[in-house]
Amino acid sequence: MSLLCDLQMRRFYHIPNDTADVLIFLQQHSISECMTHYGEDNRKTIKGYIDFILNKELGFTDNQLLPELTPLDLSWDRYSDITNVIIEYNEEINYTGSFFRELFDLHVQGLEIRCYRKTTLDKIRELLEVFNGTTLKFIKLVLAYDDTLELQILDKLVKQYPRVKALLIHSSPADNPEKIFEGSVPVIFVSSNINSCLACGEIRSSYFISNMELFTESQHYNTCLNRKLSIDLNGYIRNCPSLPDNFGHVMDTSVQEVLDNKAFHKYAKIRKDEIAGCKDCEFRHVCTDCRAYLENPQDIYSKPLKCGYDPYNGTWEDWTKNPLKHAAIAGYGLGEIIN
Amino acid sequence: MSKQILILSQSHLEGTTDHVCQWMNHLRIPYLRVNGEDFFHFQNLDDLPGNNEVAAVWYRRKISSFPVKYSLKQTDFNTQYTLKRFLVDEFNGLHSLLFYTIDRHKWLNDPISEDNLNKLHVLSLARQCGISTPFTEVVTTKAAIMHLLDKGKELIVKPVSECIFLEDAEGGQYKMLTKTINNANLHLVPEKFFPSLVQEKIIKKFEIRTFYLDGACYSMAIFSQNNRKTKDDFRNYDNQRPNRTVPYKLPADLERKLDQLMKSLRFRTGSIDLMVDMQGNYHFLEINPEGQFGMVSYPCNYYLEKKLAELLHKNSSHEKEIHQ
Repeated sequence: MSLLCDLQMRRFYHIPNDTADVLIFLQQHSISECMTHYGEDNRKTIKGYIDFILNKELGFTDNQLLPELTPLDLSWDRYSDITNVIIEYNEEINYTGSFFRELFDLHVQGLEIRCYRKTTLDKIRELLEVFNGTTLKFIKLVLAYDDTLELQILDKLVKQYPRVKALLIHSSPADNPEKIFEGSVPVIFVSSNINSCLACGEIRSSYFISNMELFTESQHYNTCLNRKLSIDLNGYIRNCPSLPDNFGHVMDTSVQEVLDNKAFHKYAKIRKDEIAGCKDCEFRHVCTDCRAYLENPQDIYSKPLKCGYDPYNGTWEDWTKNPLKHAAIAGYGLGEIIN
Repeated sequence: MSKQILILSQSHLEGTTDHVCQWMNHLRIPYLRVNGEDFFHFQNLDDLPGNNEVAAVWYRRKISSFPVKYSLKQTDFNTQYTLKRFLVDEFNGLHSLLFYTIDRHKWLNDPISEDNLNKLHVLSLARQCGISTPFTEVVTTKAAIMHLLDKGKELIVKPVSECIFLEDAEGGQYKMLTKTINNANLHLVPEKFFPSLVQEKIIKKFEIRTFYLDGACYSMAIFSQNNRKTKDDFRNYDNQRPNRTVPYKLPADLERKLDQLMKSLRFRTGSIDLMVDMQGNYHFLEINPEGQFGMVSYPCNYYLEKKLAELLHKNSSHEKEIHQ
């Protein structure tokens, strides 16, 4: 199958390869040339494809080809050395130190704060204060359920700290998506328990995103790890909390030291086009990746372990049931969380 | 003190300046951003940025809003308005002093030309450069309009200056946008009226917004013609069904003429509005020297904010070389 991505409307359409071939042919040819090329028998089908394009406002008809409508430039760059940060929150760690100041002075755009255990909102507020006066745009809070986390209280919190634009409350009594702050901030209650980073790295179609940022970055870099930085539960600096290597502790390391460390960038340039399976997958540029849990842990270019999609026959299966993945699942110690 | 890049902007609602500043930080290009709001903290004229400290200027905005509010003891609508106008004039009088104290060639766009841009004059300059413009006239009578309509032209009416936004006592808001005049609504036109700009209505295939940056044209096609709400004016945004916006390359000949037009106005940056009619002909509409370019940069992936930061850097380095 192929994927037609509408980066502006943030939609994508899963289409057969035959349809994609016709659309590519139409880039250089008129509709009547296309009809001739594919034969009278296919006229109705091709008309159907064109109607679909017009209907979804993915194109328009004209009396001539317009070479002035140039292809989108797919280059990617950002004004920050680190664009996204994950903090595995620990009450014992001081988040006001120089490492954090330097880090957020780099114009980090997105931050995820993960709390695996129950924490008081006072502690969360204390942490959120750190980001006042930075150019950080987006904070996602992952909290453990507590019956004091009422929507009214969370609403007050996000109004006080408007950088908080999404909340995920795990270990909740029920699965329940809610919204606060006049519907602008989603609060997702999930019953599952997120008590460690082992739960990360899952590939699901509901996680796919069709937008300019991801699509262009994915052409050149690893979308999960390029310019990303994490601080784990014990204050160690990592590419991602799930990866084994660390690049020092926040108490005695400078951001520049981390950036100057070649090993910190070792995953940054691994593109989807180079990863086994992914390189043939139509979803590769709307999907993120995972380099922490691999089908073959010995091979840095191996397919993400937690992906159940087979691009060669277009089917999804439950990755946890795949016998070929069992050795890797055991090796990463994932046996418990998948049951 | 070493010379630096001066950015004149405002403290709020200016994402484009913020974005350019973030690129400047990342590229390690030193700059000084002075917002109009900062003028309220200056102690005396010596606190204004001086010619010797400045290598290049990007004049983006004057101010968002005055940090303090003033009113007369006995207010009514008219005095309140007069006071407001007076304060704006006072502020502009101070702000535009910089146009004279900082050497003119250091400004990315000539600031005086930018602040006094005249739509009718720009149209005539465009024609002089060989760029096609829609038939444009300023009329004062219904008879003149009828005469033009008789020639088979459908007309639009738009301000010679800038559109305004109005609010009524109940808080209702009114946007002034481009409107069509035709035989069907001619009866609404009074016999005599305030001098008004009318323009031949172009049936458009699509619109083009070009951001001009130091000789290069970064263009975007806006498909607004399928949408009733945006048919006459794409600024009449439809949030449920946004217009399709895609990268576009103007013919080299037109780009050359636009370059000539911008150079004649001494602008190194600016937004240019064009329209493409059903036959594929281009029609020049206007220039917005301080137009937003985020709306072109992002959907076309042009990185204009980065390119602008680099241009400022180039100009300031050039200025330093001259003085060494």
